[in-house]
Amino acid sequence: MLTLWNLFEATLLCLNAVCVLHEERFMQKIGWGANTQTQGFEDQSSMKFQILNLVRSIRTVTKIPLIILNILTIMFKLLLG
Amino acid sequence: MNFNASRNGPSGAIRKAKRVSDVAAMGTPAPNPAFSPTAYSPGYAPTGPPPPYQESFQLDANQDFNTHAPADFGFAGGFPSPMTSPAQISSMLQQPVVQDMAIQYGNQLAAQGKEAVQRELHKFVPVSRLRYYFAVDTRYVIRKLMLIVFPYTHKEWMVKYDQDTPVQPRYDINAPDLYIPSMGYVTYVLLAGFMLGLQHRFSPEQIGIQASSALAYIIFEMLLYLVTLYVTNTSTSLKTLDLLAYSGYKYTVMISSLLAGLLAGRTGYYCGLLYSSCALSYFLVKTLRLQLLSGSQGPEQPSYGFPNPPYAANPYSDAWDKPTPGGTKRRVYFLLFVAITQPLLCWWLTYHLVASPPGEGAGPAR
Repeated sequence: MLTLWNLFEATLLCLNAVCVLHEERFMQKIGWGANTQTQGFEDQSSMKFQILNLVRSIRTVTKIPLIILNILTIMFKLLLG
Repeated sequence: MNFNASRNGPSGAIRKAKRVSDVAAMGTPAPNPAFSPTAYSPGYAPTGPPPPYQESFQLDANQDFNTHAPADFGFAGGFPSPMTSPAQISSMLQQPVVQDMAIQYGNQLAAQGKEAVQRELHKFVPVSRLRYYFAVDTRYVIRKLMLIVFPYTHKEWMVKYDQDTPVQPRYDINAPDLYIPSMGYVTYVLLAGFMLGLQHRFSPEQIGIQASSALAYIIFEMLLYLVTLYVTNTSTSLKTLDLLAYSGYKYTVMISSLLAGLLAGRTGYYCGLLYSSCALSYFLVKTLRLQLLSGSQGPEQPSYGFPNPPYAANPYSDAWDKPTPGGTKRRVYFLLFVAITQPLLCWWLTYHLVASPPGEGAGPAR
């Protein structure tokens, strides 16, 4: 049953997963780096570009709030099971 | 003012000194932040209502924490010394002049706070846009519900515009609204509770569980649509609230199929679900086709005859003659995606309410 709490947990886990992808150590090795010079203007509408852009923006925006949310959720789950 | 330092506060040594300069200090009601909490509580409680218009300032508390800087505090002439004791402030606050001022100040703060809250709220939830979606009347609701159930004879699906802004739902049956979805949501929750009650599976927490589950599905579905639209770089004229409205129409489908299941058991449920899903898909395709694809001709011919031309913002995509110019094909796929997921979600959200374990006999949903 998908409840609000489950949805919150799932989004937290997904956001964690997105933020864990390290830019230097991982993405550039695979070719998903966000600072390559090969991206001209024609690349802007491709799906890969959009997804990588999304990943980078999620990482930038939610890095700090995720720390807080993770700490709160961990404490919540420790105390209330 | 009549200084009558006769009040006995039990906080240590009580001195009945007089402070003339405190009269001028009424203009600066801000308390000194160097309050010591010890001076606070004892100074308060035993002081009953003081005799009116009589000031009795307690200076003992003042002198308690002024041990290290006695010279700074306000006894120097000409400097309106700030109030430094809570008892002083409490007695000062009982003057009617100060009360008026306090009321005015409080009102001002409340107005400012309300303005700030409204501003912040307006950034997240566009309230004026919301008002558009709830501008409905009874005739619209009835006709729209009948349209969702039987859309096959409706001919004109285009939303009427009134100088670039869509007409309110009360004047145009094709316009999306949020009234039917919200009412449908509440009805669905109540009906789910009712169906569970018929199956002896009900408890008051179930209402909350069903409600939050349906809400979670709404959020999940909206996120899915928005992320799909973003990732595939599909440009549409659909706003988020429009999408919310259209995806909320499936509550009528769910309610009608649940009622059919009530009347005629599981077969009734499935027949009702099948028929109303087809009707809803037809309705969605017809309505969204005009809204999604009306901009598909924007970049191809730069005629701004269409009421909402946001696609002119992407003029380069067609210059290179790409196969999917941001793109018609993607919009069609998105439309099909929406039209298919809606019935699926209808089924997913209702089948556990109708499911009957074998051998339980006849009866509605059991």
